[in-house]
Amino acid sequence: MYQTHSKREFAIEFQPQIQILRPSIHSRRANLLVKFQDLYGFTVEGNVDDVNILNEVREKVRQQGRVWWALEASKGANWYLQPQVSSLTEGIALKSSLKLSNLANAITLKRLIRKGIPPVLRPKVWFSLSGAAKKKSTVPESYYNDLSKAVEGKVTAATKQIDHDLPRTFPGHPWLDTPEGHAALRRVLVGYSFRDSDVGYCQGLNYVAALLLLVMKTEEDAFWMLAVLLENVLVSDCYTNNLSGCHVEQRVFQDFLAKKCPRIAAHLEELEFDVSLVATEWFLCLFSKSLPSETTLRVWDVLFYEGAKVLFHVALAIFKMKEEELLLTHHVGDVINILHKTTHHLFDPDELLTVAFDKIGSMTTNTISKQRKKQEPAVMAELDQRLRRLNSIKMDDEK
Amino acid sequence: MARTGNKNIQAKLVLLGDMGTGKTSMVLRFTKGQFFDFQESTIGAAFFTQVLSLNEATIKFDIWDTAGQERYHSLAPMYYRGAAAAVVVYDITSMDSFERAKKWVIELQRQGNPNLIMFLVGNKVDLEEKRKVGNEEAEQYAKENGLVFLETSAKTAQNVNELFYEIAKRLTKKVPSRPTGMKLHRRPQETGRRRQLPRFPQLFVRMLVYQIELHCGPSDLKIKAALNEK
Ligand SMILES: Nc1nc2c(ncn2[C@@H]2O[C@H](COP(=O)(O)OP(=O)(O)OP(=O)(O)O)[C@@H](O)[C@H]2O)c(=O)[nH]1
Ligand SMILES: [Mg+2]
Repeated sequence: MYQTHSKREFAIEFQPQIQILRPSIHSRRANLLVKFQDLYGFTVEGNVDDVNILNEVREKVRQQGRVWWALEASKGANWYLQPQVSSLTEGIALKSSLKLSNLANAITLKRLIRKGIPPVLRPKVWFSLSGAAKKKSTVPESYYNDLSKAVEGKVTAATKQIDHDLPRTFPGHPWLDTPEGHAALRRVLVGYSFRDSDVGYCQGLNYVAALLLLVMKTEEDAFWMLAVLLENVLVSDCYTNNLSGCHVEQRVFQDFLAKKCPRIAAHLEELEFDVSLVATEWFLCLFSKSLPSETTLRVWDVLFYEGAKVLFHVALAIFKMKEEELLLTHHVGDVINILHKTTHHLFDPDELLTVAFDKIGSMTTNTISKQRKKQEPAVMAELDQRLRRLNSIKMDDEK
Repeated sequence: MARTGNKNIQAKLVLLGDMGTGKTSMVLRFTKGQFFDFQESTIGAAFFTQVLSLNEATIKFDIWDTAGQERYHSLAPMYYRGAAAAVVVYDITSMDSFERAKKWVIELQRQGNPNLIMFLVGNKVDLEEKRKVGNEEAEQYAKENGLVFLETSAKTAQNVNELFYEIAKRLTKKVPSRPTGMKLHRRPQETGRRRQLPRFPQLFVRMLVYQIELHCGPSDLKIKAALNEK
């Protein structure tokens, strides 16, 4: 087994107060930037208000934990792991056949998850509700170890790129950026690149897998989470060849923005601002490169239970939260700076998720599928056109 | 930002090139004076701004630093569309990255604005002992293709500011009727030399307005107004 446990415990050990790495006499003044470590060991920069918010978030996480324990006491251990409760895997038909108590549980659970899964329960809850456990159960117990052994020492284009990116994935992180962390991340990414050679390795997955490792605590579970994400949760072809799935999502997102935030969409159109300028990174890294860690994981809590539509909710919420400010911009650069500043300072997950789910309004998986179908041909045509252009370049080269 | 007695130009600049060639490092060196031995890989693209003041004008750069991995190239047109200048970066220790750079050049020649100012930059010259792409070879290629060629190191800062100053100068000097061509090519060591200001300020202003429309599109009314005031 890989000894990946010991050093990672810090991730869920809650220090009572946030340690400021570089305290200064002036740090009491809120406008001064200080560096500190967040819940998952990432160094973040913020002002003293941000530190206070993070401390409040820690307290809320603790309270939320108490809610979960209380429910566990009344509903029985692991009540939340009942497979039929998962909205990701259930069909409508199945829903109607559910017992009333299960339905009640499903509703409670959905609400509960939107308020956050306690960090200690995350590995267990994610693994079960996302469908990763089911996926794993369909192959022999030794699948991951066999895969790791089989691919050891093999060199492919993907492995070269992975090696290149290991030290560039959250550099400076106290566990990820150690030989042990690099080795674990490498095995997960390389393993996956062989499992799905269409995906191979796509930049962006390094951040996703790294965060999964931090949460799941074992490489094998992180691997299965990555698999279920790419194969079941997200739209297909997000990370393959020319990122066609991601292109589709961007267009669907653009349409949703026009529908849900028409003023912003109209203004951005005037500025010739394409949402994918910022949203590509959001969708490919699942916000891990933009939002503070606990906020990202809160998004993932819901993502693994409710599916890829959550990404649209959250992305729309980020725009929505800054509506007035965005409407005053005159330049693409200003829009990007506002969105950047906003995402990097969203230390309070509830602030974001409240907007995402209460103010955006519902989007059914069905509508989203329809939208995707609608956008696909245009995306394919565009990608095809570029490809043909490139091919004509190649032909010219050969002449 | 707008300084009186000076012209303001807003210009979109795009960096293209293979993954890990040092695009982000170069921009960070220029905009923040920073360098990290391990720089996070860019997903999609990153956006930076920087203002450079020359005697002739103040240039506000909107810099798009794109992701290098092959599959991200399907996003590239969005970033080079409307750009005034493009910097194609390769890593002097990797022949593959140089080959990839050539492909970018061809794509830009076909797709970009015909007035696009193109730079070819060989980065990581601090790793001279690992060099795989010869200076002469790259320079020759640049000459043949009408590119401005420089070798830089984001790590030691060698030639990085020079690169952006050179871009800025060419943006202010560029006469629309003259296509980007070999005449614009100069050896790196000559880059420090200042060129003469045009003698006729009126004409110069009109040239600038033209140029700004060319590179930034007519929507940039603020700048046009600023120039017309002069
Ligand atoms: N020795 C040396 N290393 C450099 C130089 N420039 C960049 N690097 C290193 O090369 C690696 C890649 O640099 P980046 O700036 O991230 O490269 P990039 O082109 O932006 O890469 P992508 O975002 O993946 O496309 C980093 O670890 C840098 O520290 C340089 O001039 N000299
Ligand atoms: Mg980069």
